[in-house]
Amino acid sequence: MPYFFNTPEDRRAMLDAIGVARVDDLFDDIPAEIKLQRPLEVPPALSEVELERHMKQLSARNTAASESLCFLGGGSYDHFVPAVVDHIASRGEYYTSYTPYQAEASQGNLQVFFEYQTLISELTGLDVANSSLYDGGSAACEAVLMALASQPKRRRVVVAGSVHPEYREIIETYLINLDAELVTVSALDGGVSGDELAAAIDVETACVLVQQPNFFGALEDVDEIARQTHEAGAALIVAVDPISLGLLKRPGDYGADIVVAEGQSLGIPMQYGGPYLGIMACRETFIRKMPGRITGATVDRSGGRCFVLTLQTREQHIRRQKATSNICTNQGLMALRAAVYLAAMGPQGMRETAELCLQKSRYAADRLTENDRFELAFDRRTFKEFVVRDRQGRVTSLLDEAARQGVFAGVALGRWYPELDDCFLVAVTEKRTKADIDRWAECLANSEVGASAVHA
Amino acid sequence: MKPDELQFATTHEWVHVDEVDGGRVATVGISAFAVEALTDLVFIDLPEVGRNLDAGEAFGEIESVKAVSDLYAPAAGEVVEVNSAVVDDLDQLKSDPFGGGWLVKIRLADDADLGHLLDYAAYQKQCAEESH
Amino acid sequence: MRNQQATQLLFELSRPGRRAARMPACDVPKADLGELLPEQHRAKRPLPLPELAEPDIVRHFTNLSTLNMSVDTHFYPLGSCTMKYNPKRNERLASLAGIAGLHPYQPDATVQGMLQLLYELERMLGEIAGLEAVSLQPAAGAHGELTALMVAAAYFRELGQQRTKVLVPDSAHGTNPASAAMAGFDVVTVKSTATGYVDQADLVDKLDEHVAVFMITNPSTLGMFERRIGPIAEAVHAKGGLIYLDGANMNAILGITRPGDFGADMMHYNPHKTFSGPHGGGGPGAGPIAVTAALAPYLPGPRIYRDEDGAFSLVDAGPRSIGRVRSFFGNVGVLVRAYCYILTHGPDGLRQIAENAVLNANYVLSQLKDVVDVPQGERCMHEFVASAARLKAEKGVSAMDVAKRLLDFGFHAPTVYFPLIVPEALMIEPTETESKETLDEFVAALRQVLDEQVDTLKEAPHTTMCSRPNEVQAARQPVVSWS
Repeated sequence: MPYFFNTPEDRRAMLDAIGVARVDDLFDDIPAEIKLQRPLEVPPALSEVELERHMKQLSARNTAASESLCFLGGGSYDHFVPAVVDHIASRGEYYTSYTPYQAEASQGNLQVFFEYQTLISELTGLDVANSSLYDGGSAACEAVLMALASQPKRRRVVVAGSVHPEYREIIETYLINLDAELVTVSALDGGVSGDELAAAIDVETACVLVQQPNFFGALEDVDEIARQTHEAGAALIVAVDPISLGLLKRPGDYGADIVVAEGQSLGIPMQYGGPYLGIMACRETFIRKMPGRITGATVDRSGGRCFVLTLQTREQHIRRQKATSNICTNQGLMALRAAVYLAAMGPQGMRETAELCLQKSRYAADRLTENDRFELAFDRRTFKEFVVRDRQGRVTSLLDEAARQGVFAGVALGRWYPELDDCFLVAVTEKRTKADIDRWAECLANSEVGASAVHA
Repeated sequence: MKPDELQFATTHEWVHVDEVDGGRVATVGISAFAVEALTDLVFIDLPEVGRNLDAGEAFGEIESVKAVSDLYAPAAGEVVEVNSAVVDDLDQLKSDPFGGGWLVKIRLADDADLGHLLDYAAYQKQCAEESH
Repeated sequence: MRNQQATQLLFELSRPGRRAARMPACDVPKADLGELLPEQHRAKRPLPLPELAEPDIVRHFTNLSTLNMSVDTHFYPLGSCTMKYNPKRNERLASLAGIAGLHPYQPDATVQGMLQLLYELERMLGEIAGLEAVSLQPAAGAHGELTALMVAAAYFRELGQQRTKVLVPDSAHGTNPASAAMAGFDVVTVKSTATGYVDQADLVDKLDEHVAVFMITNPSTLGMFERRIGPIAEAVHAKGGLIYLDGANMNAILGITRPGDFGADMMHYNPHKTFSGPHGGGGPGAGPIAVTAALAPYLPGPRIYRDEDGAFSLVDAGPRSIGRVRSFFGNVGVLVRAYCYILTHGPDGLRQIAENAVLNANYVLSQLKDVVDVPQGERCMHEFVASAARLKAEKGVSAMDVAKRLLDFGFHAPTVYFPLIVPEALMIEPTETESKETLDEFVAALRQVLDEQVDTLKEAPHTTMCSRPNEVQAARQPVVSWS
């Protein structure tokens, strides 16, 4: 095996030192009747050459969206990743280290996490950020649990139906075993209605969760939602697309108390859904209820600035069943990628990226709806995603056929919203060129069943 | 106050009872032994005035860098005063645990029973056993 | 020669007007911004992010990286974390465009290779566990614990049984009780004996018809195999409860014994440990769970389905599923590396992982037992827990002092103060990917440290950029961002 050192001579010397005859003797504590009496039934060992051949064969049976025309979104996006991000993240000093329990041997990671927290605070406009959680969905769920823990007498959670359906599923899964009530406010016209939301929020409500831009890519009236939420004494949780903050108002500036986000857009490959980055930031009043690791600045023995994990009494290794969460990792390497990405983009790069997404998605929407077969499903302002209705209602075959031509044209919505089974969600990032968008629009317009409807 | 004028819970709270307006008010703190054992304190969480406590109910928490301890009500009653000065200056717990480091005052319920509390000598004996 | 250039904070290095990334000009007809985005929604000023040139960024993060110890640079015997070598081939293969470039909502027909890989990995993990069904969705070990406990809750809910309690040994990792609480259970602690086994009398005393699950780490957090696991599982099953196996220490038993064969009903893996997905400075990990056939219907979805023609698809998990615990499929990048690791080893190689891990740990133990107390005795599995309690009593030197001083010798410290049941614990796990020479050097260093002057130890480390950060100040007045 390529990663073992022990030669037969080493083994002999080590066994002699231990005082046993055979390696098997070291497993004497395991009763014979539960020992496995056969080799594991897993495939035989592969050399590196064979493994690479096998993996390339598997890889070749996939069509990578990143290498095709990708208009897929819904929380994972084909944004540009600067080379500097991959370069830094591939350093062994980062990716083969672990949790900074020994601060002196981990100042690199600790400073990166402190810088990441600062970047996230600045990005969201909130006082404090943690050193990251698993992904956007579980971060949204942790935010809900944090809001419930902050106001233990309030047991109602109000969630907009325009929040990512998978995020809502996670919250539902977690809350079923806990003493709390989940109320979902419908979003039939592509966003949440102020009146319905107002009706759902009451004095029992601990928090209101909305997404901005929402799952359909549309903008919610967050100012009004913040006003309603705070009037009832509840906490406002907003899930954001970090890229949108190059243009949109920061959630801290319109009253969000907790912000969560899927950080994949910040320099992380799509890799079929993970690992990603759960971003969480909040007002300072919540800090002792926050889940996950938090890095703090302090001084060392000689007075120099250094960094440590702090407020650890919140965490499971000290507080056990009373901990704020069971989480005992952060997505360190992903937080590093996001920190490098934000440093590389800077204010100008974020602004330009956001504006390209906005302009190109508008162009794409205009271009596609030149064809009578397609219309925008909702009359709402959008950022980089929008929902298209196929008047022929043949979304699945339309998207499958496009995929066969190397165009990942959109995400069908019927699986989450049965009433939108004739609709699909389109995402346009800064990477798509005018020619890409034209080809996408033509591919959809020329789809077998739609060809006759072309009038442009 | 001198420790030998106080009563102690096995969970390391000290209690001093005064007669006020015909009722009993218990001043509650934590012992010098407990403060020492917790090492460097970093945070204390105390209840709001007006909260009703059952005997033995956790009314707050005290934290060091790597440990958390609950604070328990020695008897049932209503919190009538909280020492906010301690929250801002935890060092008082170390410098004056039996005086300026008091934590809460509880107006005891009429039937509140303090019979389970230890005198200082008995409490010291318990501490000596715990140190082993 | 330590280069501290550019290690100030990014915000301190920032100068107005510098930039690294420049986006292309907009090549579609531009609409008026005010028309696309009403002013109500628009930020009034640019994001307050640092402004840096690309060389700045590279030098900053590269020089910072040298302040870390890592498996690529140091021996890292951090007990319970299984800091083994991270194969470079796995990094290359996980980055193939046909792997890393897949969007989670691509049609199944365009991800057949990926679904095959994940399907095969499920089968492999099921076989190694001796359990029937696997979910790859949980994002970390603790997340796997929580998911499995939710599965148990759903199972008992359907049976109509009011089981409110989860039993957890006092030697368990803190995630066990924390996960149980998040799944809505009351936690009851079961005592351990001094040598790290479950206190059977205490367990039997606390077992009743309201116990849903007994969570056990086997091998335990002290690195001991629970010899009486058979009778323990029988006792729990006799009361209708389930056994949860915390798979943190699977490295010690790969191919030797299987959780399903010693009575476990469910378990999680830590692929970032056992199967060498890198630890990434704290994550990402993954936390796949394996369960018995009876519990399979409750696993989170979607599930991978293989039809008669060998085509793969993602399907709904069905009405009895607990639902989702994470968005998208899971931490696929970590799972791909685990798959590569298992394929590199094959059946014999997996067994040799366990053999060498256990051999290395016992060797280190044999070389240290005359100078440190090891309450559990003379044998261990993949790790052991030494106690510095005597040192503390005699010289006032703590486990932390010893750990800090080892850094000066170029070794990462063992895990200290865990498990909680051993005073002044030093938990040492060498892993299988270390040589006898490295182990000998580590042993020599530790023996020397134990002999050193108290002051030398109290003020250690002496060679790192910082020494003994003031944690009290950090917790009293938290400064968690730069301003």
